[in-house]
Amino acid sequence: MKATITARQDAPDHVVQVEWAADGSRITAVPATGAIFIWDGESDPLELPDHGLGNGWAAWHPSDNRLATAGYDGRVRIYEDLPRTAEPKVERSLGRGWIERVRWSPDGNWLAAAIGKRLLILDPAGEIRHEYAGHRSTVCDFVWNPQQPDEIAAVCDGGAYMWRLGEPEAFARFDWGGASLIATWSPDGRWVVTGDQTPSVHLYDFTRDEPLHIQGYETKVKALAFNSASRRLASGGGRLVTVWACTGKRGPEGSVPKQLEGHDGDCVALAYRGSSDLLASGGTDGYLFFYEPETSVRPRAVARFDDGVTSVAWHPKSPLLVAGTATGEIALVTVG
Amino acid sequence: MPTDPRTPVTILTGFLGAGKTTLLNRILTEQHGQKIAVIENEYGEIGIDHDLVVNADEEIFEMNNGCICCTVRGDLIRILGGLMKRRDSFDKILIETTGLADPGPVIQTFFMDDDMKEKLRVDAVITIVDAKHVLLHLGEQDEVKQQIAFADVVLLNKCDLVPPEDLDALERRITGMNAMARIFRTTNAEIPLEKILDVGAFTLDHAMELDPHFLEEEDDHHHHHHHDEEVASVGIEAGGDCDGRKLNAWLSELVRVQGPDIFRMKGIFSVKGNPDRIVFQGVHMLIDAANGGPWGDRVRQNRVIFIGRNLDRAALEAGFRACLA
Repeated sequence: MKATITARQDAPDHVVQVEWAADGSRITAVPATGAIFIWDGESDPLELPDHGLGNGWAAWHPSDNRLATAGYDGRVRIYEDLPRTAEPKVERSLGRGWIERVRWSPDGNWLAAAIGKRLLILDPAGEIRHEYAGHRSTVCDFVWNPQQPDEIAAVCDGGAYMWRLGEPEAFARFDWGGASLIATWSPDGRWVVTGDQTPSVHLYDFTRDEPLHIQGYETKVKALAFNSASRRLASGGGRLVTVWACTGKRGPEGSVPKQLEGHDGDCVALAYRGSSDLLASGGTDGYLFFYEPETSVRPRAVARFDDGVTSVAWHPKSPLLVAGTATGEIALVTVG
Repeated sequence: MPTDPRTPVTILTGFLGAGKTTLLNRILTEQHGQKIAVIENEYGEIGIDHDLVVNADEEIFEMNNGCICCTVRGDLIRILGGLMKRRDSFDKILIETTGLADPGPVIQTFFMDDDMKEKLRVDAVITIVDAKHVLLHLGEQDEVKQQIAFADVVLLNKCDLVPPEDLDALERRITGMNAMARIFRTTNAEIPLEKILDVGAFTLDHAMELDPHFLEEEDDHHHHHHHDEEVASVGIEAGGDCDGRKLNAWLSELVRVQGPDIFRMKGIFSVKGNPDRIVFQGVHMLIDAANGGPWGDRVRQNRVIFIGRNLDRAALEAGFRACLA
């Protein structure tokens, strides 16, 4: 296996997030400050306006070329005619506060954004249709249920609330008293998982209605990734990448994880390629490793960057990956 | 000595209506040529519209369950983590806390979190006090006492509304609670910014830049019959050398047992056999110690000040004197 960097581009700042459009025709690269890039890998990037003091996130619609962006200015913008125009179709202020993430529901009917202690659900026209407030702490992340597009988990208050759109009360609550950084919902809908500031990972198993807590990470857990079959959960909290089996009745409980070696800095970005065993891992050491954890704990291929790799995302169809770095580099990497 | 490359963070506290927003607006609009990011609390009295302001949420969590000294601000870690990614970084960061907040978790965030420690340093805690109304709050609100206790600088604001003799009495009372804080009298929060920003109060080199008469102030305070204050300073000064091992054991035990009640601690010690000054700085259970450079021609003298709640002066003095070699 070999990893080859085939194209590069420079964004204005530390790349917070990269993501492919649903059809794989272009990517977004969200720098900490400055213009948000839309790039097809060949032409000059299209530059979208920034979000003031800092950019938060950009989310492609799951089935078309609409794009939502948000950031520290408390605003959400929705673009409908990319790449023809950098003018947003919708621009809405959600109030005072910063927005770290926006995410479309799996069916594309809703756009969720969290600002402060509120989780807001917007329709594609940018109108607020549902609001989940009253949380005691910031909603630091939220994830849609891939199997139930009207269910969303808000991570806050030392746990997670699971909301069903239109219902006034959360239908489930997952409480462990920590402070999370990131969350993910397994593609099969079984697990809600958070990576926490207290070095730990917390899972909620919907099939058993039970929580599971994993401690012992070296640092804060800043990266999580399921493969699309939901059989493996990769987690980055320190130099080792820890891969848990999420199969069987008990999932990771009582199992021995695979611990993948190679990084000399913290692993901060992870992505499985579809349902395969191919896992990309970006670290603060500037290495982008490609593992096949089922067969080896050592990297099978590597790409090297001048500074830390901060975000990675696989092309929806091809063995092509986009990576962003702490110095603003965006690179396309083919693996084969 | 090399300059600390980390970005200084100023923590601004003060009860509701004391003048925090007025001061923030002044800092943001004054032509000081510096780029200062302000983290404003979500429920600010008056919102500030400015490109360099971001709202936070006072989201507190415990790094270790149940330990007050390990409570930190999760929202700050995320916001500041985001801001520190910027290529175009800030000269200073200013964090406003809500009027009812205990400043402890904010300060502890910069001691406890590895990412924060690496790139940021606490410069000083500034507490704005409403000179007109603070006496009402001192009687009823524990938070006001804590805000004064944590302060490196106290701005006695709205001084135009209070007779000078009342201000003198108030200043004595504040000094009784926190003898290490520098007090400035202001109206409309007007003060030269160099007196409150980049003052290095948390820098160990500056740890003992106290009023050299802080012990006398304490005595003076007692004479003014404020010894019933729940929050108070205990200053200890003694000649001679300490036994380094005994001193270390005493301080460790002290903060382990009384850490929740000790808001701040600063000390400079003369340790037997060591030609250099040993400097301590603490918040609750968290203590930093460093070599403060050679004594040189200075008289070797131990000085330590504790600011906290329900401090037992006699026990502290006895504990310290037992450390003398």
